[in-house]
Amino acid sequence: MPKHILIVEDDPELGAQVEQRLRDAGYATTWWQEGRRLTRDDLPPVDLVLLDLMLPDAYGLDMLKDLRGFCDVPVLVLSARTDSTDKVRALQLGADDYLTKPFWPAELVERVRARLRRPTLQRADSLELGALHIDFAAHSVRCRDQLVELTRVEFEVLAVLARRAGEAVTRKWLVEQALDDERGGGERTLDAHVSRLRKKLGDQVQIDTVWGIGYRLADGTS
Amino acid sequence: MKLRLRVALATLGVMAPLIAGLSMLDVHAQQAAAELELIEMIQARTSLPGERERCEASPNVWQHGSAASLRPPRVFEGEHPRARFGGEAPASRFAGEAPPPRFAGAPPPGPAAVRGPHRQPAAFYAYDAALRSRQVDAPLLPEHRLPLATSSSLSRSSLWHPERVEVLVRTPWPGGACAFVLARGTTEPWLGALLPPTRIWALPVLMVLLAVLLAIGPVLRRIRQLTDAVQRSAAFDYAAGVEMHGNDEIAELARAFAGAASEVRRQLEAKDHRDRALRNFVADTTHDVAIPLTVLQGHLVTLQEAASKARVPDASVLGSAMDEAHYIGALLHNLSAAAQLDATDIRLQRNDVDLRALVTRVVSRHRPLAQQRDISLEAAMPDAELHAHADVTLLEQAVSNVVYNAVRYNTAGGHVAVLLEAEGTHEFRVRVLDDGPGVTADMLTRLRERGYRGTQARTRNVDGQGLGLHITQRVLDSHGMRLQLSSPAAGGLQVDITGERSNLAKPHAGS
Repeated sequence: MPKHILIVEDDPELGAQVEQRLRDAGYATTWWQEGRRLTRDDLPPVDLVLLDLMLPDAYGLDMLKDLRGFCDVPVLVLSARTDSTDKVRALQLGADDYLTKPFWPAELVERVRARLRRPTLQRADSLELGALHIDFAAHSVRCRDQLVELTRVEFEVLAVLARRAGEAVTRKWLVEQALDDERGGGERTLDAHVSRLRKKLGDQVQIDTVWGIGYRLADGTS
Repeated sequence: MKLRLRVALATLGVMAPLIAGLSMLDVHAQQAAAELELIEMIQARTSLPGERERCEASPNVWQHGSAASLRPPRVFEGEHPRARFGGEAPASRFAGEAPPPRFAGAPPPGPAAVRGPHRQPAAFYAYDAALRSRQVDAPLLPEHRLPLATSSSLSRSSLWHPERVEVLVRTPWPGGACAFVLARGTTEPWLGALLPPTRIWALPVLMVLLAVLLAIGPVLRRIRQLTDAVQRSAAFDYAAGVEMHGNDEIAELARAFAGAASEVRRQLEAKDHRDRALRNFVADTTHDVAIPLTVLQGHLVTLQEAASKARVPDASVLGSAMDEAHYIGALLHNLSAAAQLDATDIRLQRNDVDLRALVTRVVSRHRPLAQQRDISLEAAMPDAELHAHADVTLLEQAVSNVVYNAVRYNTAGGHVAVLLEAEGTHEFRVRVLDDGPGVTADMLTRLRERGYRGTQARTRNVDGQGLGLHITQRVLDSHGMRLQLSSPAAGGLQVDITGERSNLAKPHAGS
């Protein structure tokens, strides 16, 4: 079932574009062309609200205040203002983040997607990433149900990457998190471990080298 | 109310109660002296032998007695009373049977006989112990007015009737019809008076008034001069000062005016400066936005022409059109930031800023452009929250400019990396790395120069950087943050933004 997004935008052109882009990205949408004071009963069941702050009827901040009175649905604020007052006020009133006009359609979709992405469960005993299955407790890794033999350090590197899958992480941080200091684990050692990891895991698991940063374990969403 | 009138009224206001007080004292003193005279008269008469019997037999005698005391009690005008009475023993004044001269003596000499009609002769009324009189015309004395137990006399004079004197005297003959005598007389201008009898004392009052009015003349003249000077100064937008010679308070006032005028001048100049800045801003904005918009329109027309001829549109034209649109967006935010920074009273709206959310926003803003240009744009965040105390719009624009420059001046297949890291225990660092063409050492030096920009930096592509980096520098300066540019050995450009992080990490700025 697609996630449902409520769009509150008074400009007909922009509203139509936003709605179309979000539908193309696979979301269900409801578009309100005017602001209105909200009560619990008025709000359709939505997963995210995209709220323009400069609305003619009800001021966007008032809607936000109403909304926060009865639910914690994520709110992404659209702001054309170039000063900080409204943004800061919106954040203080409980908006999750804001998007400044002008924005690209791709930027909008990326921000909505990031906001709707469920946070990965940390400290879970195991983690499933596409073909990859990591059992943290047993220190075992399976790729397409095939057990992959990893050294302790290789496992640590993979585990650290997996816990922040989809994010680029720096070499420095990986070294700090996964390598033992006493064994002289530097960034070159890390590169060697990653290289071996890639070979052992094969094509099913994608560990990207991120220029200027380090590595990223693809989480299959992007 | 004019100052002169105000001063005259104030002078009179001070003098009037003074005169009134003096007059009252004068009346009181005259009455007291006259009463004393009356008492002395009664005492002298009561000391005469056989007088009691005479009085009790016919109290009328005491009013208009044998010697018919019809004379006014004060008849010795022109002669100093004290010299006359004080020089004689009282007994001699009332010698023998003869009534005292004031009652019944020889007719007074000279003009004393010719009195005004209000001058009544002294009159006496005898009363018994209960204050009843057998005399028909004796004034009624209420019973309760009998407090003569202790003193021998009681004044019944009133300030409301300054010339009339009444005194009730206890006689040495209690129990009879003449236990008390009420004496009624008039005051005399020469007796007991504090003020001179004629109104000559009013003269000093008039002189004081005149002196005050004269003294205020030069002050008023100087005030008028000052008024003129201030009006002249105001007529020329306070360009000329307000000058007054001298050391008095008026000159001080003139100096205060001069100070105020220079403050007004300063404010006017600041206002002019703001007006000019605003006009320039509008003009620059129009110019700056008009150019990329024209280019964008050109691209759109090219695409439209291609579409109308059913040709596949040129991807490079599409890309350029996107570039221009992106540039206009960035320009708008930079111009707005410039206006904020140019304001004479720059007020940062500093709040707690979630730096991870900020960098995420910046990167997602430029990613569509980077993708379109085939440039990889990646960001690395710390796994813990990182906050700073900053104006979120300005700081975001500062970081955005650096990232935009890195994307914009890179070439296809290039990379841009944005790294947000904690630096030590108190600072954060945003590092923007690229593998673009980089800058020459000379250019780097110039870019590092504070305030490097000049108006030409508004134009596009000055040294490949332009307005954006200048705005970044100014925003960081205003926040007490640092901008550091360096050329890494591997090429490209490395830009570091370092600043203090805030420890009050509030989880509201999203992430």
